[in-house]
Amino acid sequence: MFELRNVTKSYLTPKGRRYVFRNLSLAIPPGKNIGLIGRNGAGKSTLMRLLGGADVPDSGTIATDRSISWPVGLTGGFQGSMTGRDNIKFVCRVYGATGEAMREKVRYVQEFAEIGDWIDEPIKTYSSGMRSRVAFGLSMAFDFDYYLIDEVMSVGDAQFKRKCADVFKEKLQTSNVVLVSHSMPEIKKLCDVVLLVRDGGIQVYDDVAEGIKAYNS
Amino acid sequence: MGAVWMLIEPICHLLIFSVLFALLRARSVSGVEYPVFVLVGMAPFLLYRNTALRLMDSLRENRSLFGYKQIKPLDTYVARVIVETCIAATVYAILVFGFAWYGFDMTVHRPLEWVANLLLGLLFSFSLGMLLALITHALPSLKTIIRMAFFPLYFISGVLIPASYLPQAMMPLLLLNPFLHILELIRAQVLPNYTPVDGVSETYVISFTVVLLFLSLGTYRARRMHLISTKNG
Repeated sequence: MFELRNVTKSYLTPKGRRYVFRNLSLAIPPGKNIGLIGRNGAGKSTLMRLLGGADVPDSGTIATDRSISWPVGLTGGFQGSMTGRDNIKFVCRVYGATGEAMREKVRYVQEFAEIGDWIDEPIKTYSSGMRSRVAFGLSMAFDFDYYLIDEVMSVGDAQFKRKCADVFKEKLQTSNVVLVSHSMPEIKKLCDVVLLVRDGGIQVYDDVAEGIKAYNS
Repeated sequence: MGAVWMLIEPICHLLIFSVLFALLRARSVSGVEYPVFVLVGMAPFLLYRNTALRLMDSLRENRSLFGYKQIKPLDTYVARVIVETCIAATVYAILVFGFAWYGFDMTVHRPLEWVANLLLGLLFSFSLGMLLALITHALPSLKTIIRMAFFPLYFISGVLIPASYLPQAMMPLLLLNPFLHILELIRAQVLPNYTPVDGVSETYVISFTVVLLFLSLGTYRARRMHLISTKNG
């Protein structure tokens, strides 16, 4: 579960301070797959980064008793000048997988992302599709209670989407997902709860169809 | 190519100034060959300069890694210092071997003090670099000015000439610069017959470093939230 208490988050821009959320409090029940929907720039990715602990609120607390993945996004948490293999090894070391476990994960990602020899090329030479395949595969190589997935699945080709869906089906037996997506069928298929991010506030819809209707209206 | 440039930069500096000095005046300073004299001071100075300046870019270069909550901005600073130190140590080792093979005497007069002093200088430039990185994160336009400021520093820190060749009238002012102290001390520790100018003191460098480190870590503590969320610099 997640519990947000009085969360305020703002960013400093050259034109002054901009608030994304102000005094936000809500609880998200445990064991649900969460869909985050909202317009571009509404704060979905910010909320996801806050949930993952990659960013901290100005004030207030975000409590959870689960292990949470890093936000798996299009930009991918990669250092561009390092090779794919080095990036994967880096993340493995950050998350404490060394030795045989690390080699296993590198193999898994290489096979899942279907990048073959490209694994030894710098990440910055990858196409965006390859990059997001690696990013997605890398997060799937680890076991978390919650996976934070930011639009990654919507960019792949049909075959890759099918593969994602397969591995997801398996993961979702034991884990949950927080999904940012503009693709409503995907939200409908995967999520049990929808959080609509709008105008610095968040509405929780237990009924996915209702949430999507509110988003479209 | 990048790796080759790491070697070429100090060698170029060294060659140009050795040739210039050989043409202009005597080939030796304080009883040692001029290239040896310059290498001993310039190699650490280049390391310190790179450390201080490259920290300004480390946030921008590693921004994508902050998605992993375990990784903090301070980690990228420390990583940068380690990388720069490894590069500088390798370059220095290669040059020293090259010089020794050519026939220069490359022995270090007081090795333990020398190593301690090198590390002190590194800590100083780490603190300086961190403070500069934090300042330019808030005010990105200062970056160019700071880069430019390091150019005169090259001359007033006594990289190319002993501090005793600098204008004596200006000495009280020049001695405010901790780099001058560090380089003079390093030379005195490597070269047996080198006498640093009056007023050079280890204590000054240590206290300067402690104060600067305190200041930069304090600023870091106060600014750490902004470093991740604000995409400046």
